[in-house]
Formats: sequence, C-alpha cells, structure tokens
Amino acid sequence: MAATATGPFGFAPAIAVLPLVAFVVTLLFGKHLPKKGALPGIIATAGSLLISLVMFVAVGGGNAYHTTLYEWTAGAAASETGADGVAFTFGVLIDPLSALMLVIVSLVALLVHVFSLGYMNAEGETGLPRYYAELGLFTFSMLAFVFADNLLMAFMFFELVGLCSYLLIGFWFRTESAPSAAKKAFLVTRFGDYFFLIGVVAIAATFGTVGFAGEGSFVTAAETAIDDGATLFGFDAQTWVTITGLLVLGGVLGKSAQFPFHTWLPDAMEGPTTVSALIHAATMVAAGVYLVARMFGYYALSPTALSIIAFVGGFTALFAATMGVVKDDVKQVLAYSTISQYGYMMLGLGVGGYVAGVFHLLNHAFFKALLFLGAGAVIVLMHHEQNMWKMGGLKDKAPVTYYTFLAGALALAGIVPFSGFWSKDEVLFDALIIGLEQPVILAAYAMGLVAVFFTGFYTFRMVFLTFHGEPRSETAEDPHPVGWAIKVPLIVLGILATVTGLVNMAPVAKLLNVDITFLEFWLDGEYGYVEGLTYHAYHETVAFEEGVIGGSETTTMLLSAGLSLGLALAGAFTAHTLYNVPEPTRHMQKLGGAYSLLRNNYYQDEYQVWLAQGFTLPLARAADRFDQTVIDGIVNGTSTVSLFSSNWVKRIQTGIVTNYAALLVGGFIALLLVLGYLGGWFA
Amino acid sequence: MTVDVQYYVLLSMAVFCIGLFGVLTRRNALLFLMSVELMLNAANINLIAFAFYHGNLTGQLFALFTMALAAAEVAVGLGIILVLYRNFRDIDVTVPTTMRW
Repeated sequence: MAATATGPFGFAPAIAVLPLVAFVVTLLFGKHLPKKGALPGIIATAGSLLISLVMFVAVGGGNAYHTTLYEWTAGAAASETGADGVAFTFGVLIDPLSALMLVIVSLVALLVHVFSLGYMNAEGETGLPRYYAELGLFTFSMLAFVFADNLLMAFMFFELVGLCSYLLIGFWFRTESAPSAAKKAFLVTRFGDYFFLIGVVAIAATFGTVGFAGEGSFVTAAETAIDDGATLFGFDAQTWVTITGLLVLGGVLGKSAQFPFHTWLPDAMEGPTTVSALIHAATMVAAGVYLVARMFGYYALSPTALSIIAFVGGFTALFAATMGVVKDDVKQVLAYSTISQYGYMMLGLGVGGYVAGVFHLLNHAFFKALLFLGAGAVIVLMHHEQNMWKMGGLKDKAPVTYYTFLAGALALAGIVPFSGFWSKDEVLFDALIIGLEQPVILAAYAMGLVAVFFTGFYTFRMVFLTFHGEPRSETAEDPHPVGWAIKVPLIVLGILATVTGLVNMAPVAKLLNVDITFLEFWLDGEYGYVEGLTYHAYHETVAFEEGVIGGSETTTMLLSAGLSLGLALAGAFTAHTLYNVPEPTRHMQKLGGAYSLLRNNYYQDEYQVWLAQGFTLPLARAADRFDQTVIDGIVNGTSTVSLFSSNWVKRIQTGIVTNYAALLVGGFIALLLVLGYLGGWFA
Repeated sequence: MTVDVQYYVLLSMAVFCIGLFGVLTRRNALLFLMSVELMLNAANINLIAFAFYHGNLTGQLFALFTMALAAAEVAVGLGIILVLYRNFRDIDVTVPTTMRW
C-alpha cells in the first residue's frame, strides 16, 4: 500500500542533514577536534545509517513516504500538456529504491570515514579537516540526491556531488596531476550535465511538473500524452519523451563515466583512495545509474532510449574491461573495472531489467568499496606504492587484506556464489531474452558477455600480481602494518560482498521454484511502495518482446548463467596460468599494436584533447574575434561617433546669456513653423 | 465702449517683441532685467484681456500671481547683478563666460 503515514519518516531529512552538520562543524572547528575532524563525520554518517535502516525497516513494514518540504517558487506555466502551473520544490521520497540506496550510501560513507582514520590520519596527512569536511558535504549531497522527489532537486544535488568530487579528487592540490584530474572530472561531467539541465528545462516546460512520483509526476504526464497521441513541441509524444530522456541521459553518462564521457574516471584516481572508494561505490558514479533507476518509468516509455542505454552500457562494459587488462597501477585497474561494471548496470536497466540493474548497483557498491579500500590497505602496506609490478607476495603478510580483497575480486569477476555473479548473471539473462528479439540488444549482450571474460582476467591478474608470487620490492618484503581502522571496514564489506548476492538468487529460485528473490519482491512493492514506481509497473510499460532458447525459460537461464560463469572462470584461469607464478612477466606487451592501443586507452584522451584544441579552441577564437571586432567595433564606434559629434555640438554652449536666449527663441520659432507646417498653415 | 480683443493681443505682442529685442541686443544686465519684465507684462496683458473677453476671473488671478512672481524674480535678478558687479566690476552680461564647457 502507498501509505503516507509520517511516523519514523519524519526523520528522513535528518539523513542528509547530519552529514551537512558534520561538514559545518568540521569546517569551522576541525583543527581543534580530536582526530582532525574525523569524529563528527563518523558520528553523522553512523546516525544517517541508523535512520536509513529505520526507513528501510519502515518500508519493509509496508509504508512509503512522499512529502514536499519546501517550495522554492510556483507559478503559472504554459506547458505543452496543459498543466497550468509549475512548482519547484524540495521534497522527500522514500520508496523501496531510495530506502535501499540510502542504506548503501550511508553504510559505505561510514566505512570510508572509519577507514580514513587508518588511511589518512595514521599517515600524517595535512589538511585533514578540509578532507573530512568535504567528505561530509559529499555524503550530504549524495543522500539528498537519493531521496530527492523531483528532477530539479535531483539536478541540484547531482551538481553538488560533482563539485564535491572535484574538491576531493584535487585534495592533494600541491601536486601537479591532482588539480588537473579534478578539473578534468569536473569539466567532463559538466559537459554531460549541460544536457541534463536542458533536459530538466524541457521536461518542466513540456509537462509542467518535475516530480518523480504520484499523479503529478512527469512520468504519468508523459504516459498520458503518449496514450492520447499528443504532439509536443512539434514532435510525436513518444519521440519527444525519447529526446528529453536522452538529454537527461547526458548527465547520467557523464557522472556514471559511460562512453564517451568515461575519460575523467581513471584520472580521478589522483584523489585519496578512500575518496575513490566513495566515488566509485556509492556516490558520484552511482548517482548516474541511480537517476536512470529513479526515473525508470520515463525511460520505460521509450524503447529507443532504452536501447541506446543498453547499447552504450554493453559497449562501455567491454570497452573499459579491455583497457583494464593492461594497467600496472592497482587503482587504475579498479577504475576501469568501475566503468565496466556501471556499463553492466546500464545494460541491465536498458533492457528493462530494473531489478537486475539495481541489484548490480547494490552488489557493486559493496564489492567495489571493498576493493578500493583493499587497494588502499595495499597502498598503506606498500608505503604508497601503487605499481603492481613492485608488489607480490602480500598474501601471507597481510591475510585480512588478502582474503577480503579476494572476496571482492571473486564478486567482481562474477564467480558463484559471490554477490557479483548473481547480479551480473541477471543483467546478462535479461539482456539475452530481450536480445533474442532485438538485434541491437543482442549486440549489447554479446559485448557484455565478452567483457565477463576480460573482467575475470584483469581482476585475477590484479590479485595475483599484488598478493601472490614472490615479493618484487623491498617494501613488499617488509610491509607497513595496518590498524583496526583499516581492517574493520574491510571485514564488514568482505562479508557483505560475499552474501549480498543471496538476496536475489533468481536462477536458484527458478530451478527450485521457491520464492527467494527478495530484492525483486522489495522493488516490486511486496512491502511498502509508491504507486507507479514498482518493477511491476515498469515491466508493463517496457515494450520489449522476450524470447527464449530451446523453448524454455529455464534452459535459457541455465545457458546464460553457464556461459557467463564459464567465461569468468576462463578469464580467471588464464590470469592464473599467466600470473600466478613466483616471477610473473609482462605478457601483455606481446600483444604489440593492440597493447599500445589499450595502454593509451584507445586514444580517447587524445581525441578529446584534439576536440578541445583542434575544434573548440579555433571556434572560440573565431567567436572571440567576432566579439572583439564586430560587437566591440559597433560599441566603440557608437561611442567614438557621439564623442566626436558632441565635441562639435558643445561649442554652442558659449556661456553668453544672450546667445542662449537667441537659441531659445530660434528653437521656439522653428518648432512653431514645423508644427504649423504639419498643421497645414502653409497648404 | 469696449476695445476688441485682437488689439490687446497686438499690444501684448508688441510689448513682448520689444522685450525680446531687448534681451537679444542689450548687454547691460539692468536693461536685460527690464526687458524680461516687459515680456512678463506682455503675458499679463494677454491674461487679463482674455479673462475680460471670456468674463472669467481666472486669468486676472493668474496675472496677480505673475506680478508676485515677477517681484521675486527681480529680487533674485538684482542679487545676481550685484554679485556680477562685485566679481567683474561691470554688469555687462557678455563678460562672464566661464560657465560653459
């Protein structure tokens, strides 16, 4: 039922407000606080987690919450669908999706805060109050983005998330690379957000509403418009929905680092590793995919938009996975794996697999946070060395880090029964059944499937190079010890990465015919829900046909699961053969031209730099020249002419009263004559 | 026996033109002031003549106002002339030309 009882939901805004308070406190008093300001952040995120869990339980108890907190402005609007007013508000929407995401974000944020004690404080970094303050602001923005009940509010916090990631990526601003990476992240995502902003304006102008849920949502309005066969801005309603949906998708592609806007993400590794964990698992990058899930009802109306999402997702999954194969820096490998995994989520959502996409988002949040924090632990162990070729043999010296990292790696590679397997399999299964009827989706599916092999390969290449074999440097022989602040988050996430997959074991459920797909029930409104925002409702809207292989869904499912598991194992096994040896060598260099292509990230950076320098810069120069010559010329010309003419005209001001009187009289007579002439005296 | 209104208008115009001529040609500030008075009184003649013509007292009332105004104007004008004399030892209106560009 779609109850709107307040109850515990009255505390919902506090989820976001607590980290904001921590931000202000840390910013003002951070220097004087113990632990350089880590404590307010930890307390605030713990509070957020607690309230999020209360929300989660409340939603589980059959409730949902949707309210408007504050109205910015409201006014009359001439919208295309006839809604005569539009209001811009701040509101809270707690439904199964946002409740789930709130728990993920606050949990990961809390663990990152705790981990920072070991990663930043223990390492004697400077500027820690700034770090913790920015972390608090980051958490605040993301949490507020998650429970946003309308597109405009979502956009505002989406931008704030971008700003915070800019600040945190550039945390070590005294180095040369960090500020440049921060700028790149900011500019590339901003380029996407530009389209998002146009999309928000277009949706507001079309439907007169930006709400996500309820009768007054733009999703409902769009559905009505399509059913009525309305014409919006000269387009068929469905075409217009596709256009606006794709505009919003621009922001999503930028934030979620999907092709072609993925280039900022590997550079963002310049930030502290804890920040990378937060960005990749729960905040910045997750924001894009979450937005698609949030307004999934809207995308569901447009098969074209969905196909584009699926294709871009599938392509990005493969594209990024291949680049991850040749990286030497442990964080770089993880960066490309993030891009690739978000590709899977987009693929899942794009084929209408709302549950699969959200499931992968959930699992990825845990295992990627785990892997990044694990990488952070490795970096501490290695005295800030990130090159995997200088590691090796850490397995026995840091067992906690190793086993938790291994759990994360198994989940990332998608090996049964770790979490990643269940969600990746569901994404691929959903893609396959749609793909059997839609060639474009089939291509996306094929790319996603091939990427599974590469994922298994680069993941285990990373594990073997880092932890197995003989130590390849002095620091690897005698690693720096890590404290509880590093181990506890790793263990918590290690357990989560292992077990979260169990919440939605769709293949097992189908084989044994038992109802254990809890996440699907969760998102389908078995518990609390908001009308229209359920998997059920989305599934009815999505206009894709489903096909099966061999006439049975079970066969198709087993085939799909077997294929993806087999490929993942094959990838892992290849990595095992090549790199799980005492003295691994650089096999990848044997690839020749392909190696340098991958090493240079398919020259994506070069082409984007060319785009900036070879195209945008000359264009800007031409515009500047036009501005300097034509526009300024007109302005300066006007002033020159008036200066010159007034220089002459001022001479009639002689200072002699008689002359003035004469001019007055002459002027009066002239006026009289003109008026007389016009009045017909002389006719 | 009444005089036609156009004769008053002619008289007023003549007085006004004499005043105007004085303003445009005289250099002595006192004569300048007198010429202005002539022009004002030309207007008064007009006001009173038309008031009489229309059998309406408004014009006469205004003429009274104008006379009061003219008195004030003369006071200000004489003040200016005094200052002029003090500064330039002369009351020629073409001499002080500093108030210009």
